[in-house]
Amino acid sequence: MHIPDGILPLGLSLGGWAIAAGLTALSLNRIAAQPDPRAGLPRAAMMTAAFFAASLIHIPVPPSSVHLVLPGLMGAMLGWYALPAILIGLAFQAVMFGHGGLTTLGVNAVILGLPALAAFGLTRNLGHVTQRAAAAIVGFATGAGAVLLAVALFAAILLAGLPAHLDAGAERAAITALALAHLPLALAEGMVVVAVLGFLRRTSPEMIVAR
Amino acid sequence: MLSAIVKPLIAALLLAGPAAAHGAFVDMGTTEAVAIQARYDTGALMAGAQVSVFAPDNPAQPWLTGMTDADGRFVFVPGDRAGQWAVQVRQAGHGAMGYVTVGTDGAAITVTASRTGLSWAQRLLMVASVVWGCIGTALYFRRLRPAEPA
Repeated sequence: MHIPDGILPLGLSLGGWAIAAGLTALSLNRIAAQPDPRAGLPRAAMMTAAFFAASLIHIPVPPSSVHLVLPGLMGAMLGWYALPAILIGLAFQAVMFGHGGLTTLGVNAVILGLPALAAFGLTRNLGHVTQRAAAAIVGFATGAGAVLLAVALFAAILLAGLPAHLDAGAERAAITALALAHLPLALAEGMVVVAVLGFLRRTSPEMIVAR
Repeated sequence: MLSAIVKPLIAALLLAGPAAAHGAFVDMGTTEAVAIQARYDTGALMAGAQVSVFAPDNPAQPWLTGMTDADGRFVFVPGDRAGQWAVQVRQAGHGAMGYVTVGTDGAAITVTASRTGLSWAQRLLMVASVVWGCIGTALYFRRLRPAEPA
């Protein structure tokens, strides 16, 4: 779910950069308004490492394979720190492994950043439920919903930027196949969020109070 | 009697023109072609991916489009325009570019493949370096926090 260089038209790449810059400015603004903006940095650094490494973990979903993207976990764990963390992680992935690209860094940050912020909103409003089953459902919805939203954004942006010389039917079929391959990933990431939040709830509940 | 049948036949053949020709010839020869094989970085083959070949003088409109076969392969013969030909392979938002340089004599073809994959050791070291940097950052900002009262 990382769009590389040379796939999107210039307008979409620039638009992606503009929206990503706006979201990052908003996030940094909210972080700066916190009583101790540095307090969240250790966790943001650790989650950036997890996000960076996760994209190399491929899960075979015949006929292709998908990799972990973790937007739900980033949003639920980091709150406003999620967007800068995702931006840094994506930049490292683009430069080191060619996952995504620098011209499409903005677009990719929007594809994963918006679901992360949505996950943050969901956990902030519903993350205080104490009943175990209800908490598990919220956690699952956060992780799975964020992946589905990211896939929807990815597909919509690709279809919007499809050049006229391509066989649109074949490309639509390929995008549909890729989106379907991400359904098991959504289940997996939903369970990851349930497991991580459940673990934190038992060991250090103060850590999951999203800011 | 016989000529009454043959004469209209000859006339009909003459009027029918080229469509009446049933002989065919195939000219054959060998040429220098460019063969590509596209893979994802997981090693999986890009089967049925769309290939666009761009001539040196027109990077906007493809000179040739096609599709890779089940083994991710595609073969084409570049035209005689000298310069750098670009080949893009893409499928569902993933893709890569490769370049082919055609010399002025039309025969000399040099191929510049897109970035080759990294070995697992390289990947592991890169991931470990970045993760270690993140751990260092985390520890640094942890130390900066005011000591909590015992």
